[in-house]
Amino acid sequence: MVRKELILIARYPVNFVASFGQVFLIVAIFTLGSKTFSVSQVSPGAGAQAGAGNPAGVVIYGFILFMFLSDTLWTIGYNVRHEQVQGTLEQLYLSPASKFASLISRVANTLLWTGLLTLAASALMAAMIGRLPYENPGLGAYLLVMNLAGTFGLGFAFAALTLRIRETAQTMANLLQFVFLILCANFFPFSALPAPVLAVSRLLPLAYGVDAFRSALMGFPPGYPELAPIEVEVIIVTVFGLLMPVIGYALYRRAEDYARSTGTLSSF
Amino acid sequence: MPDHSPTIRSRLAVVLASTRMRLLTISRYPGQLLLDIVIPIVFAAMPILLGRATAGADAAAAFAANTGTTNYVAYMLIGSSVFMIVSYAFWHMAYWLRWEQETGTLEALYLSPTHRIWVAAGTALYSCLRGIFSALAAFLVGSLILRVQPFGGGASAGSFAPLGVAFLFILSGLIPLYGMTLLFGALVLKVKEANALINLMQWGISFLMGIFFPIAFFPPLLRLAALLFPPTWMTNGVRSALLGVGFFFREWYLDLAVLWAFMLVAPLLGYWVFARTEVSVRRNEGVGQF
Amino acid sequence: MLGTVRVEGLSKTYTVRQRKGLFKSEKRAVEALRGVTLDVQAGEIFGLLGPNGAGKTTLIKILTTLLLPTSGDVWVNGYHVRKQENQVRATVGCMLMGERGLYWKLTGRENLDYFGALYHLPPAARKRRSMEIIDLLALGDIADRTVETYSSGQKMKLAFGKALINDAPLLVLDEPTNTLDVPSASELRAIVRDLNAQGKTIIYTTHIMAEAETLCDRVAIIDHGQLLALGAIDELKASLGREQVVRIEGVISSRALDAVRQVPGVRQATRTSLEGTELLTVVSANGHTNLPLLIAALSQAGALIQKISPEEVTLEDVFIAKTGRTLAEDTRAR
Repeated sequence: MVRKELILIARYPVNFVASFGQVFLIVAIFTLGSKTFSVSQVSPGAGAQAGAGNPAGVVIYGFILFMFLSDTLWTIGYNVRHEQVQGTLEQLYLSPASKFASLISRVANTLLWTGLLTLAASALMAAMIGRLPYENPGLGAYLLVMNLAGTFGLGFAFAALTLRIRETAQTMANLLQFVFLILCANFFPFSALPAPVLAVSRLLPLAYGVDAFRSALMGFPPGYPELAPIEVEVIIVTVFGLLMPVIGYALYRRAEDYARSTGTLSSF
Repeated sequence: MPDHSPTIRSRLAVVLASTRMRLLTISRYPGQLLLDIVIPIVFAAMPILLGRATAGADAAAAFAANTGTTNYVAYMLIGSSVFMIVSYAFWHMAYWLRWEQETGTLEALYLSPTHRIWVAAGTALYSCLRGIFSALAAFLVGSLILRVQPFGGGASAGSFAPLGVAFLFILSGLIPLYGMTLLFGALVLKVKEANALINLMQWGISFLMGIFFPIAFFPPLLRLAALLFPPTWMTNGVRSALLGVGFFFREWYLDLAVLWAFMLVAPLLGYWVFARTEVSVRRNEGVGQF
Repeated sequence: MLGTVRVEGLSKTYTVRQRKGLFKSEKRAVEALRGVTLDVQAGEIFGLLGPNGAGKTTLIKILTTLLLPTSGDVWVNGYHVRKQENQVRATVGCMLMGERGLYWKLTGRENLDYFGALYHLPPAARKRRSMEIIDLLALGDIADRTVETYSSGQKMKLAFGKALINDAPLLVLDEPTNTLDVPSASELRAIVRDLNAQGKTIIYTTHIMAEAETLCDRVAIIDHGQLLALGAIDELKASLGREQVVRIEGVISSRALDAVRQVPGVRQATRTSLEGTELLTVVSANGHTNLPLLIAALSQAGALIQKISPEEVTLEDVFIAKTGRTLAEDTRAR
């Protein structure tokens, strides 16, 4: 797998450079955007509200999770849709290959790449605006894995939806990505959300995942985590990480059976 | 065989047919137009919410000290709305030939006796319409959702002059912007890793044009580079007209003159590079390869 | 001039990159066409045959201005492909990409209207021409559905219709019956014949030899970028200089056998028994032209003819003779 990634880097150098460049630019844009609210312009967050935490930590850890979540949550569904459009989805079903492995493999390769990119993004952010807090790495890693597992499950569920409603699912995915950006507060503290919106956030396990992950890595500054005590959030994320893949995969197999019984696997 | 020699009228018909084709196509993607409005609002909401969280009650004052306006919501919304116009320009124009390649219709285009410039003009018109619609709708809807006066600061009550100036900046910036995208389209035609390049370029432009911040934050060299891009003048022009943040040359007509200077150079340069690259691609591998 | 093609000394060399390991690669020149010279006459159906990678597609792309040649000259409808590109495009109708050259989010009618605009047809003419094409190809039921909902065969038909939009004197059709079912393919061939009868010149590429034999007036066989054969099908078959064999089953007496041996052109006549039936095998230089003479000679000698099986030289035989392999074999190897 690593060799394949290296080959891809060598053959598609523009992709390689562009991925890093893009991450740098996105981080720079939001960093400078937050600087516009800073009195001193030297360290954003000086004079910050209690509960704002370290803005660098809030943004970068939220960004890291956003990148991983995008890979797992949406990419599976996009890939299924792409195969439907290409007409190769039917071919997959003619083969004896494991459907589970097929789903996972769609994103497994990109996770390695995403890992590298997020490390680069963290380093850049730290270089731009100063110290990035880094505490509780073990808990952070555990929460990352559980979040990923949970979003894999959501990804399977979304792939199931793609099989049923086809192109509309793609538009829904595009829309939901942006809605989730707000509801999961990837780039700002939950305290910034208006109360009605926050009420909706509290219904999403992903929101607890984001909150717990960055709170742990920031070393639990005052006011963090924001949604619930850390013990409760860890339980929610764990249950999400264990149950969601099972539920998601079951939904996918059901959608698959439905497609096979109605003959719509190859439907565009 | 009937004589269908090209005339001015038939060439304009090509432009309109190309625009219509793209509009029909996008209308058949359910929800896409809704997305066009949601995306800039969500983009703008992120720094707004982060800023409110970090600066709290002092947000407006701190923002004004850095930018010249307390209306940070409108400031961010303008940035993200103009970014939509820029982003669509890149995705529709720089990616245009690549899109036709991927759908398999590029060869069909080259088989027709119509020069690509007319089809490109139609695509540009479509991109303008979609970008301006999205920018306007996102700005107005975003102002409604985020409960802010969209035209505070530079615009006095009941006066349409600032709106007119803002619109003039948008329109004046469009031609050099599309010229730039042709330049970039040449690179895409050659390099072929279109998605990666365009993603990088659109974030690069949004960074340089100061989508969420004034370019005064940049070190001198970077600030100079930013000033070489028409979108930077567009964004600042609209912000200055509507929010009073201040034109680069103090007077609106001087900033507009700079955009008009870009208008003279950028499209010609872009087209020249694009045409040469196109010939080189046709010489070696033909336009169907991707 | 209209409906003609003249190719003189056409060559095309590509530069391709070959990977050698992770980061290294080397450039290599590939000659796709080497000094091809041919002409297509007005009003004929001209077949272009060759295995995959022979250079057919390269040749067609140069004729239709999609690709620039390395050297040589080409005139299409009297216009030079390099110096008068737009005139060439305006006077040629092409079906090159099969079902891929269509906008899937547009309806069939909208596709025809759009391409009509690209050929500078005024709106009224576009509408009229689109309706004519839809009627001709029996696409009325699906014309107002988006192309993404069409079957492969329907897309191919629409792609063919798109080639007719500008009513050009020269049509270039690249495997137009690909993915069509038998009745639809037959229907399309009939339309091609009708268009030819109306005076259109047609350049037709196909992998199906039987199709080329029934449709084409002349064919060119290309392999490894070179023109190996050019001429009318009968001429190409005759050029092999092969003898033809006719097998006749029935009741054949010795007198009938002698009579057959006297027929002009007969080189050899042998009588054998096969499962109680006599089998006469006649080898002659011009089997299908002297067959009536053979039948007459046998009848007059009192023979009873039960079955006649002429074995003719086919275009496939010509192809094998020129390229050293069958078309099917070449496809399998690829």
